[in-house]
Amino acid sequence: MAKETNKPKIAFFDFACCEGCQLQVANLGETLVDLLGAVDLVEFREVMSEKWDKDYDVVFIEGSIGDHHAEERLKKIRERAKVLVAYGSCAALGGVNGMKNGFNIDEIRKYVYGDKYSYFDSTPTKAVDQVVKVDYYIYGCPVYLPEVVEVIKCILRGVQYSVPDKPVCAECKLNENGCLYDKGVVCLGPWTKAGCNSWCPNNGNICYGCRGLVSNPAKNAANDIIQKYNINDKIKDLGQDLMKKKLEMYNKAKEVINEPKK
Amino acid sequence: MKYHILDKKNLDSFIKSLARRMKVVGPVKKSGKNYVFKEVKTADEMSLKYIPTILPPKKYLMPEREKILDLKFESDGIKEEAFIENEKIAIFGVHTCDLSGIQCLNIVFNDKPVDKNFLMRKENVFIVGLECNSYCDEYASCGLVNSYMPNGGFDLFFTDLGDKFIINVNTQDGEELVESLKLPPATPKEMSELDKLRDEKRKIFKNEINVDPHKIPQMFDKVYESKLWEEVGNKCLSCGNCTNVCPTCYCFDVDEKISLDMSSSERIRSWDSCQFETFAKVAGGENFRKERGLRQRHRVYRKFKFPQDKYNRFFCTGCGRCSRTCMAGINLKDILVKVAEESKI
Repeated sequence: MAKETNKPKIAFFDFACCEGCQLQVANLGETLVDLLGAVDLVEFREVMSEKWDKDYDVVFIEGSIGDHHAEERLKKIRERAKVLVAYGSCAALGGVNGMKNGFNIDEIRKYVYGDKYSYFDSTPTKAVDQVVKVDYYIYGCPVYLPEVVEVIKCILRGVQYSVPDKPVCAECKLNENGCLYDKGVVCLGPWTKAGCNSWCPNNGNICYGCRGLVSNPAKNAANDIIQKYNINDKIKDLGQDLMKKKLEMYNKAKEVINEPKK
Repeated sequence: MKYHILDKKNLDSFIKSLARRMKVVGPVKKSGKNYVFKEVKTADEMSLKYIPTILPPKKYLMPEREKILDLKFESDGIKEEAFIENEKIAIFGVHTCDLSGIQCLNIVFNDKPVDKNFLMRKENVFIVGLECNSYCDEYASCGLVNSYMPNGGFDLFFTDLGDKFIINVNTQDGEELVESLKLPPATPKEMSELDKLRDEKRKIFKNEINVDPHKIPQMFDKVYESKLWEEVGNKCLSCGNCTNVCPTCYCFDVDEKISLDMSSSERIRSWDSCQFETFAKVAGGENFRKERGLRQRHRVYRKFKFPQDKYNRFFCTGCGRCSRTCMAGINLKDILVKVAEESKI
């Protein structure tokens, strides 16, 4: 696969993640054939053993950054890449790994690694852009394939991709889903970036907020929503707390201030 | 005006014979109090006692996403070909508020420059109205904007008279259908039943907020700088639900979907919303309606003031969808009451 051609050289790398977003690429079906016609895949641990020793045109980074080694490795990849894509919510936001940041770092290390925890480095979770410059963002847990294809087209044309900056509700309504708040459950659609075509609500599930907050989330609306749908009657005045905790599931890492460089 | 009669037990054969001629869509229950227009083959798939559907029937006249142009990038230049889709379709069971919505869209898209995509679709749509004998729920304001009685905009119009429908025939297409099905003409007794029902309706449907609709445009002259808009804006989620579900909102965006090998492209028009943060944002990052309150003000003026000045009619059909769907509880009737209070007219 890694022949010398004029096609852009693409590589995938993973950090702290489940590798599910990379696996999504394999689900592209027929589009995958078109995609492989447009690019040269030169490094992708999940599907090939070859490595590439020259510069990359485009690298896709999956996963968040959770120790010093990962930070150094990411910086080296960045040096060799013309375009870097934060691929999936762990990379773009910190994702679920960010929940670590709600605890004291040494306590959480002890909990996971036991009394030998000092052998295992661990730092507060960072999104990729908290370590290196990111050129394109693809949110989602996992990524939404039609959006991945659109972003790749933008990269190939050298133009910006604008992540939709409106709440998931906008797409959910167009899909004519009944509002999940009508069922008395707390859904994060009102604050979460659209672009997934309301994938979860279409299948009867709440929005978990995996794409991160819109750039200007409605701060006051939570109380109004809780009131309109009597959420607090149902869960004993815990509506606000529940919303906050749900929001933290994917968005906690963005609260981290970069550690001072050593 | 011609009136015919259809026994309710024959509704199914009516729908089936319509479905043999064209695709038929009607109100179908989705979940809880949610109804949607979708394709039906038989009468029992439909819920004729429905409150306004999540999306209005405008989705069939200007789909949420529609291709308007095919482009091919060839060595000797770009080849463009306009694309207009026009499927023959019957929309069954359209309430008077939604008929009024389609009339509003018709006015706008017939205004220059005319919108060929809309007009072609409109020509191919066969509309069967359905009368509301009483209110759907507390969100409706069809009394205020006077849209609870039929006022044109349909091929056929059904009114429920107990064990039968009385059908008002309004177009040649409608007449041809009714004649081919050999539906009997209404008797004088049935006509008087209809009159009686309408008299009853005038007692049921009242101006819901006691604000004189004739004075509404003047009121809006006085409240442009009101604090009210900031209050509404503080609640607003900017999710665009209110405009997506509105039968008269028609703002759209246009973008290109280029193929991966970059040899061709499709130009797509999709619904946009003045409530989105990005709607009035321009190159350089300037945003002409940065505040939620300004965007909500714009929406309400687009219903009660601007179209009144331009087309001499409200672009609110009283369907209540915007208030019904708003998660934060922004209620159009409450806004109008406050406008009336503050303007002191």
